[in-house]
Amino acid sequence: MSTTTGPAAIAALRASTPKLVVDDVTKVFAGRKTTVTALEHVDLHVADGELVCLLGASGCGKSTLLSIIGGLEAATSGTVTVDGDLVVGPGADRGMVFQAYSLFPWKTVAQNIAFGLETARWSKARREERVAELLGIMSLTNFADALPKELSGGMRQRVAIARALAPEPDMLLLDEPFGALDAETKRHMQDFLLSLWRRTGTTILMVTHDIEEAVYLSQRIYVLAARPGRVAAEIDIPFGSTRGPNTKRDPRFLDLRDELADLLAT
Amino acid sequence: MIEVEQAGARPDLEAVGEPAPAVPEGPPPSGTRGRPPSRLFGIRTEIPVGWRIGFGVVGVAGLLGLWLWSAGDGSALIPTPGSSWSAFTEMVGDGTFQTDLWASLQRVAIGYSISMAIGIVAGIAIGTFASVESFFEPLIGFLRYIPAPALLPLFLLLLGIGESPKIWLIVVGTAFYNVIMTADVARNVPREMIDASYTLGAGRGRILRRVILPHSIPGIIDVARINLAAAWSMLVVAEILGAQAGLAYQINLAQRFRAVDVMFALLFVFGLIGLCSDVILRQVRNRVAPWARP
Repeated sequence: MSTTTGPAAIAALRASTPKLVVDDVTKVFAGRKTTVTALEHVDLHVADGELVCLLGASGCGKSTLLSIIGGLEAATSGTVTVDGDLVVGPGADRGMVFQAYSLFPWKTVAQNIAFGLETARWSKARREERVAELLGIMSLTNFADALPKELSGGMRQRVAIARALAPEPDMLLLDEPFGALDAETKRHMQDFLLSLWRRTGTTILMVTHDIEEAVYLSQRIYVLAARPGRVAAEIDIPFGSTRGPNTKRDPRFLDLRDELADLLAT
Repeated sequence: MIEVEQAGARPDLEAVGEPAPAVPEGPPPSGTRGRPPSRLFGIRTEIPVGWRIGFGVVGVAGLLGLWLWSAGDGSALIPTPGSSWSAFTEMVGDGTFQTDLWASLQRVAIGYSISMAIGIVAGIAIGTFASVESFFEPLIGFLRYIPAPALLPLFLLLLGIGESPKIWLIVVGTAFYNVIMTADVARNVPREMIDASYTLGAGRGRILRRVILPHSIPGIIDVARINLAAAWSMLVVAEILGAQAGLAYQINLAQRFRAVDVMFALLFVFGLIGLCSDVILRQVRNRVAPWARP
């Protein structure tokens, strides 16, 4: 009996629980005349090293949910825990990437990437080393001294991802990171994100309204329904590490795509 | 289409590989569609550079022409450009111009610096914190409608007749605009940028100093540039109502002697100072914040 409450037992329990747990989260926006329930009793979890997508139509509260996980907004009720710690505010352990407008326009690419390292008080030498490493991973080495306005949309999002990744967060939260990109750049960035995920093993939770993107990238998908926002389905994606351009022609891919399209339509 | 299918022909297949048939030449146009755009007066459209310069020259030349025409041979009340120029060189010669210019510049520089400092601190605080905004909003909404020149008699009573009432008139007459406009500049920092900073581990102090302030700098320089004109207006009010030196004091003095040539020369100086400060502040903005250059 005593072993079930000992430190070893707690450690074992921690190891078996997922990295991120969203437990019964409800978010209500109270206006003067109307109250809107953006999220209702949302439960979800993400395991260590997993890549999960939150898929839903606009207005289903998926971005609000990501903000709550990031600690930028408070839930009306329910809890979010990361490795057993209760989330009470934002922190560098949950790096976030937004759709646009988040890079510091007065800082160079290298300075943008270094921002989180400065707040974490890394030494100058370690900072430079980490920035150089990320510039390499992101194929941005030649643009280290460029300003964001000199970059293409895809490159800007690579900088935003590198900046979020720099302080070695426990997980990345991506809020429609490729939503403002053209179709061709978007495809490149999806493959880039997959290879980045394989290389770094970072836990990734990504919000998207693009069905094909969700099926192509995720190991699991949470489908959110709107008004009030809630988890309508949880779907496992069977493609392992064999994803590539051909995946999108796989009959299972097409079936999943149609199934999800039906789910979103209802 | 239907006719072709009934005939059993497949022109869509046969066409592959063959050059596209030339579009047959139809009859000449029977009329026109749409309104042709205006070349010089299109709404928000660029005009050729030559015209751009031309319009500018016409404007300046027009004003000069109006001046020359109304001055006539110099016997009228309006002075000729020549007599204004000689009035100016006379003032420079006996050193009164330098004294007056220095006195006025000093007042504007001190007063406007204090005003900008208030504008930056209060404006950024108001644009950043809803609590500070709630505190100041009703106060500023009321106070800014009190015409600042109406306060000068009070300032003269409270602060005596030295430099301070003039400087404080400039401060009071411009600080509200600087505060309100700087608050708008601070509000324009994108939400995503602040959220991203939080998720990179930055606290509020760091976000204020490293994100909101640098993002606002070009906007603040623009605010300074725009409201500087109001500072000179306040200076004129202050110098007319009580001063021993200054450009506007000199204009006021010139009225007693009907020295219209002096007035014109000094009005010209005011315009020139404004133009120079505008150009300089634009340069500063582009130098300090090249990332915000349009």
